[in-house]
Amino acid sequence: MAAFEELYRQHARRLYNLAYRMLGDAADAEDLLQEMFLQAFRKLGSFKGESSLGTWLYRLGMNLCLDRVRSRAAKNGRQTDSLDADDAPVVAATPAPADLVVNRVDLERAIATLPDGCRAAFLLHDVEGFDHREVGEILGISEGTSKSQVHKARLRLRGWLRGRPALAATGTR
Amino acid sequence: MRCDEFIPLASDLVEGSLTGASRAEAEAHLSSCAGCRSLVADLSRIADVASTLERRTLPPGNWPALAARLAKEPTWSARPAMSVGPSWTWLAVAAALVAIVGSSLWLVARSFTTTAPHEAASGNGQAPDLVQSIETELALAAEHYEKAISGLEQVASAADSPLDPVVMATLRENLRVIDDAIEESRVALRNEPDSRLAQESLFEAFRRKIGLLQDTIALMNEMRKGDEAGAARIVEGLTKS
Repeated sequence: MAAFEELYRQHARRLYNLAYRMLGDAADAEDLLQEMFLQAFRKLGSFKGESSLGTWLYRLGMNLCLDRVRSRAAKNGRQTDSLDADDAPVVAATPAPADLVVNRVDLERAIATLPDGCRAAFLLHDVEGFDHREVGEILGISEGTSKSQVHKARLRLRGWLRGRPALAATGTR
Repeated sequence: MRCDEFIPLASDLVEGSLTGASRAEAEAHLSSCAGCRSLVADLSRIADVASTLERRTLPPGNWPALAARLAKEPTWSARPAMSVGPSWTWLAVAAALVAIVGSSLWLVARSFTTTAPHEAASGNGQAPDLVQSIETELALAAEHYEKAISGLEQVASAADSPLDPVVMATLRENLRVIDDAIEESRVALRNEPDSRLAQESLFEAFRRKIGLLQDTIALMNEMRKGDEAGAARIVEGLTKS
């Protein structure tokens, strides 16, 4: 139990924050965190050492997050996007704007508006610092799909932060 | 290159993963397109701020509540022996080692990513503080590494150890090579605190070290023998800092 408690101490806060940003609710995130570690405890025997224990744990956690998000969406009759979807936002050519000011509060709000799939990839890569190979392992997608999902997320965030939620890029030609 | 060809490549450029002819074409386009320059600046800023978002504190009652639920589960020692798959306690050892090392790497990584390079290079007197801060984090990480390696060695030298002495000798030699690389990167970082190359070299060396530990763990999973109670005691020792 001591080692398992250590595993919890090392990863719980990070997983809790991922769950909070995926679910948008602190109580739900806390409940899901318990579920993550309970499942990890039960399934530890299925861990074969082929990837790092951390990757295995985050994969289990993110699967539970996405299941919860989709279940909630189904109840509300809302559709969620696929992690493999590669629908880049529609790009509109606009004149070059002034410098974008990004503050943390606005960015948190903008992240909450992202589709579930690209939000998961963005949180893992840009917020938590996993590389694309690790994001791919955690989410069960290819490294290339991770890159495109994170790119899509950044474009959408830019659009939201610039006050045009539709989108995002600003080419002039 | 047109804007609609450049835009899908913008994040690769921001992340530094665009190379060769593609990078040259993208940079040529940027030199003549203010809109796409603005796009790259914005995406870069978003990624930078995202890496500094604060973490909510974990609710204090979470672990006690979880521990109470875990107490109702079959304990590791009470689980029936499995004909295939890893030993519970060796996995516990592995979990502790990876967690200790992984958290050390994370601490150091955050110390880099949350510090804007220009702060180190601005000549405003903060550079020595930054270097000192990084050195402190590195020392902490190194201390955790030593603990983890020491723990592995204790496990390996125990009676009925799952690890062959020859394997341990190889592990030590590989670690020495990686440690040399870490030291070289640290020297480079002291000389150029804002050098991305030095930072990346350092983390690559840390990742190699973690990978080596993970290989060891995979080996432990296959050699499911040894003094499990002793291993559990070692884990407890490792986790007390």
